[in-house]
Formats: sequence, structure tokens, C-alpha cells
Amino acid sequence: MIELPAHIFLNTILGASLAALVCSLIGVFIVRMNLSSMGFCMSHAAFAGVALGLAISRDPLLMALGMSTLVALILGPVAERARLQADIILGTMFSLTMALGLFFLSIIPGSAMSSTALSILWGSVLGITDSDLMRLGGLSVFLIGVIGLFYKEFLAIMLDRKLAEESGINTRPFYYAILFLCGITVSVSLKLIGGLLIFALMVNPVSSAYQFSHNMKNIIFLAPLFGLASSVTGIIFSFQWDVPLGSSIVIMSVALFLISIVLSPKRRRG
Amino acid sequence: MRPVIEMLGVDTVYEGEKNATLKGVDLRIWPGDLVCVLGPNGAGKTTLLETINGILPYKMGRVTVLDEDVCTRGPKVRRQVGYMLQEHTFPESTPYLVKDVIIMGRFGRIGLFRRPNETDWNAARRAAEYMEIFHLWDRPIGKLSGGQVQKVLLARTLAKEPRILLMDEPYSNLDYRATEEISSKICELHRTRNLTTLMVIHELNHIPPDCNRIVLLKDGKILGDAPPQKMLSSSLFRHAFSEG
Ligand SMILES: Nc1ncnc2c1ncn2[C@@H]1O[C@H](COP(=O)(O)OP(=O)(O)OP(=O)(O)O)[C@@H](O)[C@H]1O
Ligand SMILES: [Mg+2]
Repeated sequence: MIELPAHIFLNTILGASLAALVCSLIGVFIVRMNLSSMGFCMSHAAFAGVALGLAISRDPLLMALGMSTLVALILGPVAERARLQADIILGTMFSLTMALGLFFLSIIPGSAMSSTALSILWGSVLGITDSDLMRLGGLSVFLIGVIGLFYKEFLAIMLDRKLAEESGINTRPFYYAILFLCGITVSVSLKLIGGLLIFALMVNPVSSAYQFSHNMKNIIFLAPLFGLASSVTGIIFSFQWDVPLGSSIVIMSVALFLISIVLSPKRRRG
Repeated sequence: MRPVIEMLGVDTVYEGEKNATLKGVDLRIWPGDLVCVLGPNGAGKTTLLETINGILPYKMGRVTVLDEDVCTRGPKVRRQVGYMLQEHTFPESTPYLVKDVIIMGRFGRIGLFRRPNETDWNAARRAAEYMEIFHLWDRPIGKLSGGQVQKVLLARTLAKEPRILLMDEPYSNLDYRATEEISSKICELHRTRNLTTLMVIHELNHIPPDCNRIVLLKDGKILGDAPPQKMLSSSLFRHAFSEG
């Protein structure tokens, strides 16, 4: 076990919990609306953005936001329309963003495999600052606020966009809001969780939540709880065995998913 | 009297298609009309309903519903127009309960920043009771039979308390008894609330006794528009369903 100053330990717990909370909350939308490949692309774009920021000495967070927003603007209209086309374009974008990320990573000044560079891939415990925490806290409040304010619209859109449109909801602004919130979430959480694994933290807690309920109103609360549980157990695991934080959180989220499958009331036969 | 639905020279083109699916459609629907839309598969019946409620944008002409331009005021129109989709299904794992699917029919008219209140829930409950599916109220939507889903969707459009009712093959999944019951309910709604109704059907014996107009559609054009007796005996009708 590594010895760490108490405040760093506290920051890590807070940061990882908030990151898990926002990721799994936005993950509910990503999973339900079949935006997985989109979320995957956006997380890679954010990763490329951070790498670019480090390479050209600009604010990595801003670059990440810029890149993921760009992807949302390009892919949003595509995914909204023709299905088959969307898969092809998403596939191309996915490889492009990944390649760009690795390319930018290689041109970061200093050793290409420096710890800063690697931390974008793996996520880092020590790098977390008070301002990172502020951002994560602010995002959590914002995200919960937006979802709370438009709860019924989001519920209806997640059931079926056409039915929501039929009821008289103008769905397009909400659809894009989801994409942008996803981009912000990915960009802000990237530093802790790492670009390679952040997507897992968006999907796994949601998959676990699905095992316990047939009702979206429960799932939307359960998913962040599973996210929190993954991050807390992940932190302990990470300190205990000296593994990168992102990977241990994700391993825990997978473990929780497996346990959920076993415990699922849905699978139990009467 | 002003028409509740007015289409003037309307072309609807699906995205990515070269040719228009609806071609120069002119149609006026008057308050209290009960219209049956008939035509072969692919004639454009679904396209017609979705152009009327503005889900599909049209390229040419003008569609006015309840004195609003559907093109610019789509959401406002849809809050007053119930539209029951053709054979809409939900995958088994859909994480929504029947009651939520029904109340969501009202979400648009409830408006932003408001939660469904007691009035809304009462309307939803009444609609479910009217369609005789109240016993399914707390069930997951994905675990119903096709006919039950059909009734839930009808209840959902009724929960909105619409001023116009559009239905795309409302009987497609129903057994003969349910068909008769729902058919008589559609007539009852029409009679008691003077609800303007457009329904797409395929079987002639599904034409309700109160139907005052049959609109015949083929290849995206209106081939005929007349009262049932006149339409069924005309040669147009046979022509619509013949080859070529
Ligand atoms: N999304 C779409 N994109 C392109 N063309 C479409 C689309 N949906 C329908 N069409 C075409 O438009 C025409 C009319 O379709 P529509 O669904 O309105 O027919 P319909 O009269 O409702 O038929 P059915 O009795 O089978 O329900 C068809 O030729 C169909 O191929
Ligand atoms: Mg149809």
C-alpha cells in the first residue's frame, strides 16, 4: 500500500466518485438511445484533444471539449438519420480520432512516454487538483439540474424519439443536449479515468442497473449508484495493489456487473 | 366552416429519395369528419398521416391543421393531434411501464418545466380504463402481446384528449372481438366528442358505420374521395387495387 498525504487521498476519492457519477448518469442516455458508438467516438476525440493540448501547450480541457463537440456536430446529424450510413461513418471517425490521439501523444514535447502523456491513457491519481474537483462538482450539479428540469422530456425521448415527437415534444434540442453533455462529461472526467477506459464507466454501471429494474425511473437512479460503488471499491483496489485508478475502477464496474447478473431478480426463475 | 385539416398541393419527399412519395395532394377535412383512408401497400397512407401531423416535412404546397402551419408550428399541432403509429412494437427489455407510456402521450401538452399532475394522471387512467387495459397499468410495456400494445398505444393517444385522431391500421393486431369493441368505441368517441377522425384500414368490413368519407390513395395521389356507398360501388375502387 502506498502512503499518500491525506488531502490527496481525499481529493482522489471525491474526484473519482464525481467522475463515476457523471459518467454513469450520461451513460443511461448513451445506452438507452443506442449512442454507444457515438459515445465511444467522443471519448476518443476528447482523448485526442487532451493530447493535442499537451503537444501545443494549450489548455487540454478546452481542446478536449472542442474535439468532442466537433465530433458531436459531425456525427449528430449522421446518427440522427440513415442507420447504415451512420455505422460506416462512425467506424471511420472512431479510427480517425484514435489515430489522432496517438499521433498527438507522440509529438508531446519531452519523452513520448512521459508520465503526463501516459496519464491521459490510464488516468492519474496524483494529478488531480482542486480546480479539477471544482469542475467535476460543477458538472455534476449542472448535469443533475438539466436532467431534473427536463426529466419528463428526457424520459419520453429515451422511450422512443418518434413517440416523443408525436406527443408534441420538440426532440431535436434535447437530442443535441445529450450529445454535448456527453462531450463535456467525457472531457472533464478524462484526466482521472483515462481515455481508454472512460467509455466503460459510462456503460457498465448502466448495464448493472438494467439487471435490477424494468423501469427507467429506477435505472436512472441505480446507474449512478453502481458508478459510485465501482469508483469507491476501485480506489481501494487501486491503492492496495498499486494499479492505475481508471483500470481498477473499470475492473470493479465489470465485477459489479457480473454480480448483478447473478443476483438479478429478472433471471431468477419462480 | 373552416377545415380542421387543409392540404394544398402537397409533395412529401423522404430524405435521400429523388421522387416525391406524396404527389400534389389536395385534401380538406371538416370538423367531425370520420374518414377512412384506403389504398394498396405502399400507396402513401402512413406518409399522408405523418405529413398531416408534421412528423414528416413536406417539400411543396401547404399543410394547415387547426389553423396552424404544420411546417413551423409542428409541436403545437401535435399537442392537439393524436396519432397512433402503425404496428409499433417495443423490444422485450424496454424499461418502461404501461402507465408511463400512456401518460407520456400528454407530455407535450403539459409543457416544459411542469410535471404531470392529478388531472393528467386521471386522463391517463380514464383512457386505460376506456381501452380495458387498466389491469396492465403497472406491467412493463415490453412484456405485452401485440394486441395489448395496440390498445396501450390507442389509450396513449386518447390520454392526450386530442382534437383530431389519426390512426394507422388500429385493428392490425386485434382479435375479432377486440376489433368490434374498439370499432364501436371509435364511433362512440366520434359521436360524443365530435372528434375528427382519420383512420387507415385495409379491410372493407372495418369501415365504421359512422364513416362519412373514404379517401382512396394510390401511388401517392388521391384517386378518389367520396361517401362510402358511392366509393365502394365505383370503378375507381377496383382500379385502385388492380395491378399497374
Ligand atoms: N423512410 C422512408 N424512406 C424512403 N421511402 C419511404 C420511407 N418510408 C416509406 N417510403 C416509401 O414511400 C411509399 C409510401 O409508403 P407508406 O408507408 O406511406 O405506405 P402505406 O400506404 O402506409 O403502405 P402500407 O399499407 O404497407 O402500410 C412506399 O413506396 C415506401 O417505399
Ligand atoms: Mg402504412
